Amino acid sequence: MTIVIFGGAGDLAHRKLLPALYNLHVDGLLPPRLAIVGVGRKPTTDDEYRAFAKDGVQKFSRRPIDEQTWEGFAASLFFGAADLDSEAGLAPLGARLDIIEHERGLNGDRIYYLAIPPTLFAPTVSHLARSRFVPPAEGKSARVIVEKPIGRDLESARAINDAIAKVFAEHQIYRIDHYLGKETVQNILVMRFANSIFEPLFNQKYVDHVQITVAEEEGVGTRAGYYEQAGALRDMVQNHLLQLLAMVAMEPPHSLDADVIRDERLELLRSLRRVEGDAVDDNVVRAQYTAGFIAGKAVPGYREERGVAAASQTETYVALRVCIDNWRWAGVPFFLRTGKRLPKRASEISVHLKEVPPILFNADPSARLDPSILSIRIQPDEGFSLGINSKVPGPHVQVYPVKMDFHYGSTFGGTSPEAYERLLLDVIAGDATLFMRRDAVEAAWQWVMPIVERWQERGDAGLATYPAGEWGPADGEQLIRSTGRRWLAP
Amino acid sequence: MAGALADRAWRDSAPETIEVDLAALWRDAGQGDVAIARAVMSNLIVVRAPSAERRGLADIAADLPLDEVVSRHPSRTIVLEHCHRDAPSTPFSAGVGIVTFGPATARYGVEQIVVRSACPEASLLSILRRVVRGDVPTTVWWTEDLSDGPPFDPLLTIGRQLLYDSRHWKDVSRGLAAVLPLTDNRRVDLADLNWRRLAPMRRALVDVRGPLAAVAWRGVTVTVRYAPGETAIASLLAGWLRGERRTDPIRVDVAPLPKGDADAILTVTTDDVTATQSPRGVDVTPASAPPFVVAAAKESDADAIAAELRALSPDGALLSALRALGN
Repeated sequence: MTIVIFGGAGDLAHRKLLPALYNLHVDGLLPPRLAIVGVGRKPTTDDEYRAFAKDGVQKFSRRPIDEQTWEGFAASLFFGAADLDSEAGLAPLGARLDIIEHERGLNGDRIYYLAIPPTLFAPTVSHLARSRFVPPAEGKSARVIVEKPIGRDLESARAINDAIAKVFAEHQIYRIDHYLGKETVQNILVMRFANSIFEPLFNQKYVDHVQITVAEEEGVGTRAGYYEQAGALRDMVQNHLLQLLAMVAMEPPHSLDADVIRDERLELLRSLRRVEGDAVDDNVVRAQYTAGFIAGKAVPGYREERGVAAASQTETYVALRVCIDNWRWAGVPFFLRTGKRLPKRASEISVHLKEVPPILFNADPSARLDPSILSIRIQPDEGFSLGINSKVPGPHVQVYPVKMDFHYGSTFGGTSPEAYERLLLDVIAGDATLFMRRDAVEAAWQWVMPIVERWQERGDAGLATYPAGEWGPADGEQLIRSTGRRWLAP
Repeated sequence: MAGALADRAWRDSAPETIEVDLAALWRDAGQGDVAIARAVMSNLIVVRAPSAERRGLADIAADLPLDEVVSRHPSRTIVLEHCHRDAPSTPFSAGVGIVTFGPATARYGVEQIVVRSACPEASLLSILRRVVRGDVPTTVWWTEDLSDGPPFDPLLTIGRQLLYDSRHWKDVSRGLAAVLPLTDNRRVDLADLNWRRLAPMRRALVDVRGPLAAVAWRGVTVTVRYAPGETAIASLLAGWLRGERRTDPIRVDVAPLPKGDADAILTVTTDDVTATQSPRGVDVTPASAPPFVVAAAKESDADAIAAELRALSPDGALLSALRALGN
């Protein structure tokens, strides 16, 4: 097998893909006969590319580099130059791949990883077809991995999907949302459907509401060019948050087959109540960070960041109240929020169960009991906990909220595989469970588009601000407090 | 129910990498032979003033019974040495640790974080928000003398309880001035360890005459005498006596004890009863009934602190006493 990484000299390859492949090699999980070919515009020797990869592994691998192991891995690393802008730009790469595969006795099965800007997806795939990189069905296989964002709206997402579909069949396409590769996200299904205690509670009878928080501490950093066009809604909500929502709220699949699980996720997305027109103003809050403090240090506001327009209207924070119109979740609000320059990096889902009646231990209105909360911590403190009330030992009846806490680190020790390790391994194995199908991507865009359109209508009216280091704007607080609830800080 | 100290792991860290370093400590702990459950029932922010000798990070709270407290009430402990007044722009450092307790069959670990900060007070919250867990209650333990200055505002934003000990106040009126504004802060409950010591005396007086609102206390004059260093507890008692009746208030006269009983903390005298509080309890001598003793609960400082950490509702009697002292 040959893994061809377009954008092989880029940031994603350096920080994520090459370290992930190295760790798979360390674990003995890569196919024994394999070539990894980084593709880039600038001519680079194989040795230079191996040095680039080694630097990435040293800096970003979850495990320290082992020289002997590295030598074995490095022998499978190559570089091929290609000009993706030119019709004939892939021809030299084709010849190079043929030679590498011939010399290493590889069978010509290929995975093409498009770690390139979305604007290049369609032309690159088209070049691949014209340059005969994608074999007909007999014998050899070809798969393509596409990184998010897939489009910046429904129309462009469809255009990209159409372009890819002209060359690859749906079963050959792996659209990555790396959140789905995280151990803790996969564990949502295990927790829900492998424990008889939880699933009976996951419905409108017992759940008061659900919160999903994906908080980033970083600012826009070096991604201003992309982020100015995207904003938090497109960058985070359309994909990561909706996928998390689908995982936590989907119906039980009847098997672990990839398409069965993906069908259920899709069904959930289709059950989301559309938020349109004035309802956007009532149910969605957008905001932008201003100057503030992170970890005690002063940081600039979004509009002062390099590459950001001085009058930018790009939102760096979104909070939403979402309703799911199906039998299971009718009447249960889901509160979602994500933002940059929030106080800490944390992704967490919390399922808030309904309060017990205000009788017995919950009778005193000035000392209401904490409702039971199931918290699923996706990162960085992976695990989950269930908050329950317990009597404090002693002669008086005093109730205190305690935690039943499952914590990956202290339970299993060692480090969990990175999301990209799992996802790359799944592509190699041909398992698409953790990847987004075309219909799900487009369903997510379909749901998000009325919000985008409303914001376009309103311009900067309704764009709130929040100081860096705060948990978002006052409007975000009000969104949930107006329902008598409050955000649970991770 | 506290477990015996079993082990301690520590590593230097930085404010940006506290969670990463804690995770690494847990991973190491998870690879040992003994299973360790992470225990966290609350966040405990321990505020320390910088000391002249510049203690090592791991020793900043060495003189406090922190291990004993968290063995009784497992808390993510965040020791904060904040040097804002002296060095507003110098860098700061951090360290993290895991302290484990209990036998091998039931071992639990508690996280400890130490932050030495020297940032502007306005940015303090941005440090604390990073390390405080949002799913458990947060207590701020102000270990310093509140009569030297009020607690930092950012701490009151993040904590639901302010724990302090008025016994350490050098100047009671200034200490009261620091806490009085907080009696109207509905977000923060006050917990005074010195007030806790007053419990047997309050119980004794109620036992003799009934609740303070009862007719038996109408127009009563009470004389409170206190031992050296016990001005604050005497003031709290006076505040409690004055604060509970809306009409026909109790008249309270407070003065130091004449030299004599070295064991006595407080004596309370009315026309028909004398009550003397010592570390053992309160000896009550009514004029027309046999004497009796109200025992003081035998609890260490750690027991008392752990008990306060478990209290999740405001102490109305303390608030009433403080407000009476403010009038």
